[in-house]
Amino acid sequence: MSTAKQKMRERKLRNQPASVQYSSTSQTVESSSQNGGDAPATAGEIHDGAPSDIQKSTDKQKSRGQQGGWHRGHQKDGGGYVREMPQHITGGAFAMARAAEVKAMLKAISTRTGSCQLFEALPRHMRRRAMSHNVKRLPRRLRDFASRLREKSLQAGSKKKKEKAKCRSRKARRRHGNLLLEFNRRQRKNIWLETHIWHAKRFHMVKKWGYCLGDRPTLKCYRPCYRAMSTHCLLMDLSYYCCIELQGEEDKLLAALSQLTSKEAGPTFAAALCLSGLRQGSVVVYRAGGFPAQALGPVTFLWRPRTQGLTHRQLWIWAHPTMKQDLLPELQIVCQCSEAVVPPAVPVITPVDVPYTAEPQHEPAKSPKAVKTQGTKRKCSSKDPSEPPAKKIVGDGTRPPGTPVTWRSCSTGIVINDLTMEMVRYRLIGPQSHSVLTETLEAATDCDASVKLQPSSLWWPEHCKDDDKMGLHRQQADVFKTLKDLYSTGEVPAGIVLGLTVDDPRLTIPQKKVKALTCVKQIQEEDEQKRRELMLRGVPQHCCQSLLWEQSVRDNVTENKISEQELNRMKSDVLVPGSRLSPIPPQSRIPILLLHQPGKQVGHEMSSWGAGWDLLLPKAWGMAFWVPLVYRGVLIGGLNMSLKHSQNKGSPHFPHDYPDCPAGARFQEQQEIELLNKFKRRPPAKRINYIKQGCLAPFRCPWQQLAEEWELITREGREERKRDDQSGTTTHSDTAVEEKTTHINISETKPPSCFTVLRNRKSLKLLSGWCKPTTSKGQRLCRINQAPPLDHTAARSFLTPNEMSLAWVRFSLLFKGNPELHAMVCVPLAEDLKLLRNKSDINCPQEPVHKNHFKTRTKNKKKGSKKTPASSLSSDKTVEKESELPSTSEPNLSAAEDPPTSSDLVFGLWPDPLPSITSHCSRVTLGWVTQGDFSLSAGGGEALGFVSVTALVHTLLSQPSEHRGLVLLRNPSSLHYHFAKINIEV
Amino acid sequence: MLRSVEMDPVEYTLRKRLPRKLPKRRNDVYVNMKTDFRAQLARCQKLLEGGGHREICVHGLGLAINRAINIALQLQASSQGALQLAANTSTVELVDDLEPEDPDEAAEPMTRTRNNSAIHIKVFYPEPQ
Repeated sequence: MSTAKQKMRERKLRNQPASVQYSSTSQTVESSSQNGGDAPATAGEIHDGAPSDIQKSTDKQKSRGQQGGWHRGHQKDGGGYVREMPQHITGGAFAMARAAEVKAMLKAISTRTGSCQLFEALPRHMRRRAMSHNVKRLPRRLRDFASRLREKSLQAGSKKKKEKAKCRSRKARRRHGNLLLEFNRRQRKNIWLETHIWHAKRFHMVKKWGYCLGDRPTLKCYRPCYRAMSTHCLLMDLSYYCCIELQGEEDKLLAALSQLTSKEAGPTFAAALCLSGLRQGSVVVYRAGGFPAQALGPVTFLWRPRTQGLTHRQLWIWAHPTMKQDLLPELQIVCQCSEAVVPPAVPVITPVDVPYTAEPQHEPAKSPKAVKTQGTKRKCSSKDPSEPPAKKIVGDGTRPPGTPVTWRSCSTGIVINDLTMEMVRYRLIGPQSHSVLTETLEAATDCDASVKLQPSSLWWPEHCKDDDKMGLHRQQADVFKTLKDLYSTGEVPAGIVLGLTVDDPRLTIPQKKVKALTCVKQIQEEDEQKRRELMLRGVPQHCCQSLLWEQSVRDNVTENKISEQELNRMKSDVLVPGSRLSPIPPQSRIPILLLHQPGKQVGHEMSSWGAGWDLLLPKAWGMAFWVPLVYRGVLIGGLNMSLKHSQNKGSPHFPHDYPDCPAGARFQEQQEIELLNKFKRRPPAKRINYIKQGCLAPFRCPWQQLAEEWELITREGREERKRDDQSGTTTHSDTAVEEKTTHINISETKPPSCFTVLRNRKSLKLLSGWCKPTTSKGQRLCRINQAPPLDHTAARSFLTPNEMSLAWVRFSLLFKGNPELHAMVCVPLAEDLKLLRNKSDINCPQEPVHKNHFKTRTKNKKKGSKKTPASSLSSDKTVEKESELPSTSEPNLSAAEDPPTSSDLVFGLWPDPLPSITSHCSRVTLGWVTQGDFSLSAGGGEALGFVSVTALVHTLLSQPSEHRGLVLLRNPSSLHYHFAKINIEV
Repeated sequence: MLRSVEMDPVEYTLRKRLPRKLPKRRNDVYVNMKTDFRAQLARCQKLLEGGGHREICVHGLGLAINRAINIALQLQASSQGALQLAANTSTVELVDDLEPEDPDEAAEPMTRTRNNSAIHIKVFYPEPQ
């Protein structure tokens, strides 16, 4: 405290005129008078801030300060003040000097700059909360000044800020119609899902792919969500997936679609089971005839089961929204559907226009006048009876009214229909998802006889009249009932489809949240038989049919939905509160489709983890099903969880893990920008220096360069081997590879083809067999696969078609460690493998710290930027000249031919173009990790990523058989390598 | 690979489904071959001693039968005769999926069932007479 006081006092004294000393001689008096003359100038300069209104207090301080000055001087002199007492004083000079001093002091007190001093000048005990807000909290003598200051600041602020739009009262804003208008305005740019408001209250929302999507819950529930996925049920809203409908003759459709896929990459659109409509299929789509290059991305598809005697088929293709812009034109080309069918003049969804009428009213107006005029307009329009009232947007309401959604082909008769947002898709993940479904949904009950007799505009009463259809409905309901007897969702055949009509689930919603569980009971012999049938054969073919396929039924159901309000009124009218509504209103029967989602199918561990069901609903029914599902104790996941789901399954996630697709490339670019911005937001001293860490590209993966470099290495290696074969030596170690890599010069490569991702089933199987160590358990597997053993001839024949490809690989860490995004995959040296015997992470190899050759350049850049802008041009040139020096002296840098301009330089990052990436570190790089995390299912670090196929085969060839398939992983921010095991799962 | 194509016109991939999961009580222990033996033994001991269960059930299927028996016997030996065993065997039906890998995609996938043996050992403290 004493130091603080002292400081304060010093600060105050600093502004005082210098202490006055009496001198014994007359000369000194003159000098003192000079001193006095000097004082005002210095005091005037320094003593800016002391406010005049507190004259009294400052006067007091001043006098105290003077006293202090006297006091201090006296002590220093050791009581010599008696001796220095002047003999006489020249009155005139003395008075003049004092007068000047007083003048300076008065001036210092009266001048004032800055506003903050006002409050600071008040002693602490007189300061009050919110004093700057309310002038009356200030002492009265300061009020004038404070209010003047406030006005000044207000004026300055209003110049910058826009004129605030006139705000209506909260009550008016929250009125239903106005709220809807506001909501419609807000979803113009990014479409809202039907569950948006539910999500927005509970999730961190992100605007992605033209939608508003929930990323992750605001609750901390990462582990509970994982637990729900592996033991109970996790629910996700996938309505943002785009559905494209194809209609036409079966053979023509198949002929058209076969151009997009290849049978080498697994079952296609024509797979027998999928074609019959029994199963949902998934396939990776390529540009027409482009396989294996030019991939577009993965889609799932579903054929409508055949109706008897008809060859006309219907097919739904579900694709990610980022992929739709690539997929739709490709489909149009393949099916020769160029003719756009203009939608009918009166569309079924009337509120399409609503957001556009609402648009001008809510835009922040530029001038107050405009606000006024628009305000009056609004009043008029709301009173105008001809204006349709604001309606909730259902489906894709943001599409401009004239946009075609249907395309027809004259030659093939195929019709393409864009069904984006026409259906709601929910995904339930977890072994208990079937019991959640069986508890929530109930097969639709039959209509009353009285309702049946009279004709109805609703679809269900009409449906009930047909006995055949009702027979089918009963069978479907039967199958649905047998789902109850299952213990786990993974028991049924993968990908089965069940069509169903259900009652409105809002009618059976429980009062409180309950956790749906399978009930344990002894089942009848008959039921047991049915269950076996379901487990072995799946759903019979006719039960896969659903009325959801019919556009008319979908529209009918959407239009006739009972509103929440109406339903609640009906519920309140029931005699016994809480009992079920009966008879059930005829509107509340909804056709749905249940699609089984297979869990983890590849690999030997955790099989069928993450299996679940997809629920397809007609639009507008989203919330009616969502809340009842939530009331069955499921947890809700966002985008984050869907990423984790596919990570645990070991499957690539779109668009993160499809670098060869245009959507994937776009995603990577965006991700790089995001990560770079995040990196730049840190102060330079706190950033990780990736150059020193030996990490060339921490924010992206230059796949193309990797594939090119490895292709070059093999070509050189092959030539060398030819020479070697003659001499009869076939020694190939990774050191040899390393040597070669150092000699790479990128400019020598011919204009290369694009890299591809290896999706050929046979090649992948072969590769996966090679990756396994050929000892003990692995040997048995190899024998089963009957793969040719790995040697040079096999490798060469394998690599010829796949030189530029990447392979999707799962890495499981042997010891500790947590792989991160863009971790490097490297080849262990022979010495590294010896470290494995220690069986611990401590002895894992380390990367030596790299030298930062760009340090001088960044420094120069800094200097250059400090110079005046006029000289910046010349300074840039000098920087470039200087930068060439280190690059020529360092062999590793020789690849970077033209030194980058200094504007590209970011401290800690390699500037473009990158030098050879394979040989940059002490271990040769194979690829990168695209998803890495601690895996809760494996109980250790797991990563997914791509490696160059060429590099992988080379590595495997050079590794001893007992350590085959071992690699090193290194995070971009660390020098520590971790041992990991490669798994390729087919 | 060529040879196998000659033998069988259509190649199939075998995919084993998981055995039926049965509802699990607190004192059920399903033994597998992946987890460390000592860890599984310790888990059983914990249930009997710390968990306050008078009896536990050790289940083993197929290859894990051996290990289940081992665990039960180890438990008995370490209890100095206080624990008793009662073993039951059963047959569990397993389902395999056979997925065709033919280029023409005309073949139907097949499902077959096979049986496997299982053992259920009750490890319990006998009721005092």
